[in-house]
Amino acid sequence: MPDNQSTGALDDLIGCLKAAVAPFRATLQELHAKYRDVADGKVADYIPELALADPKWFGISVVTVDGQAFDVGDCQQLLSIQSVSKPFVFGMALEDHGREVVLKKVGVEPTGEAFNAIVLDEKSNRPFNPLVNAGAIATADLIPGKDFAERIKRLMATFSGYAGRDVYVDNAIFMSERSTGHRNRAIAHLMLNFGMVSEKVEESLELYFQQCSILVNAHDLAVMGASLANAGVNPITKQRALEREYVKDVLSVMLTCGMYDYAGEWAYRVGLPAKSGVGGGICAVVPGRCGIGIFSPLLDARGNSVRGIKVCEELSDRFGLHAFELGFDGERIEDQFYLRKK
Amino acid sequence: MAKIISTHSFRGGTGKSNTTANVAVLVARAGHRVGVIDTDIQSPGIHVIFQLAESRVERALNDYLWGKCSIDKAAYDVTEASIGDVDPDADRPRLFLIPSSIDVGEIGRILKKGYDVGKLNDGFQRLVTDLRLDYLFIDTHPGVNEETLLSIAISDKLLLVMRPDSQDFQGTAVTAELARRLEIPEMYLVINKVPPGMDTAQLRERVEATYQAEVVAILPMNYEIARVASSGIFVNRYPEHPMTLALKQVADRVMS
Repeated sequence: MPDNQSTGALDDLIGCLKAAVAPFRATLQELHAKYRDVADGKVADYIPELALADPKWFGISVVTVDGQAFDVGDCQQLLSIQSVSKPFVFGMALEDHGREVVLKKVGVEPTGEAFNAIVLDEKSNRPFNPLVNAGAIATADLIPGKDFAERIKRLMATFSGYAGRDVYVDNAIFMSERSTGHRNRAIAHLMLNFGMVSEKVEESLELYFQQCSILVNAHDLAVMGASLANAGVNPITKQRALEREYVKDVLSVMLTCGMYDYAGEWAYRVGLPAKSGVGGGICAVVPGRCGIGIFSPLLDARGNSVRGIKVCEELSDRFGLHAFELGFDGERIEDQFYLRKK
Repeated sequence: MAKIISTHSFRGGTGKSNTTANVAVLVARAGHRVGVIDTDIQSPGIHVIFQLAESRVERALNDYLWGKCSIDKAAYDVTEASIGDVDPDADRPRLFLIPSSIDVGEIGRILKKGYDVGKLNDGFQRLVTDLRLDYLFIDTHPGVNEETLLSIAISDKLLLVMRPDSQDFQGTAVTAELARRLEIPEMYLVINKVPPGMDTAQLRERVEATYQAEVVAILPMNYEIARVASSGIFVNRYPEHPMTLALKQVADRVMS
């Protein structure tokens, strides 16, 4: 009898082959070809390391809740995760402290302000939501541990769990985030002034800069999204990445606050929980069905990947993925995941 | 919709390529556009049966997999050599062969570097469209590897070729199990090289019970085919031979 490990390897291989022959592969190739030459937008340059990105990089990955993976284009190219990390750290805070404690430190209200605005809710002194910088620093501050080493270990373990492989921080990006992060320091100290973050705020800022500098690729982003889509269980490793009861918390802030100050229009047009980052990554979630990871470093004025948005819009339109698309009678995305319909 | 048929055997020497070539010719002769692709990249050979001279092969499947050409550039019309006198302008029958490279360097390169199996699948799809095929036969490498599994995954029908010996019995069970997991819609068995005097009825019963799949032909150990020595199409040379009649049953099942 084969042991579990070899059965797992065989399952992976079979899954990989089923994906290779499924019609969805051609759909993604078509989308990739359609948007590959879109040259609008520019590469982020607020830190020198990000400006090194090749504008041509373009990867689209979709991972289904049953673990099929579709990768087209530059899906192995690493990028810094940047703001895409924020909802996942929000999830950590919820697991570690529960809803009640976390909601005292950070709200769940879209801001309409830029992601790096120095603004807190006047009544409660809370940051508006965990996906703006202020809120993300507040949630990073909630990562428990007796010292920095323990906290960073917990942080990395979480991201490795979502990605299904060990992930690492890019030191060059971390150093430049840290040395140019004056605005984030200002936000952190303003929150310290209001007692919204702890005394170890400098350490939490370090954690925040580390979290933004984690290297992932488009495939990882899709696996992370698929873990949320799959009620918190990573569909590749079958390991739990987030407690089931907090998945809806994370997804609802992604839906309402995930795309910087394009969030409202995003929810209206695309209707999927998603988070973008200035590294050029987007992680989108089709609940119960799949995760979508896209990497293309050309950003629009709001800091969202131009090609990434186009791909999500088209996938949402074509397969009726909008959360409120009712009675959709077109082809369903899951029908394309298999060569032979189930 | 074109039908895709893979032939596979767990071990080499079962007569898999000969079976593929002969069945493909019979299906083409019934008035179809047929493609035969040799995905046995490590040990290619079916081009010999179709008498496609190496000197004629400018592009092979390998060139496509390396992105050097589109797949149709590696397809050779072998209608005349394999079917004979067909009007060159006739749409049907038509038989195309996509060979793998026999160049040692190319084989080494594939073994060392591998390639994207997804691209192989894209190639299958392009062939079907570009050559307007009714049937695509995939001749696979013996044993289990990625391109074999991919071929099985995409096929409408799988022909498993085996000899009546215990090594083939065991190995075929492995392939059959994988094929089921890949959700192959139809699987058939061809038992080849059956020695004289063997109880074929009992053999059929035993094989069908073991693999839960229909035995579609039992082919005897055959001296004429050995004499053709893989250079030429047996069913053309021996149209009334019992072996040809048995292969026709396989072709009928492919077309049913």
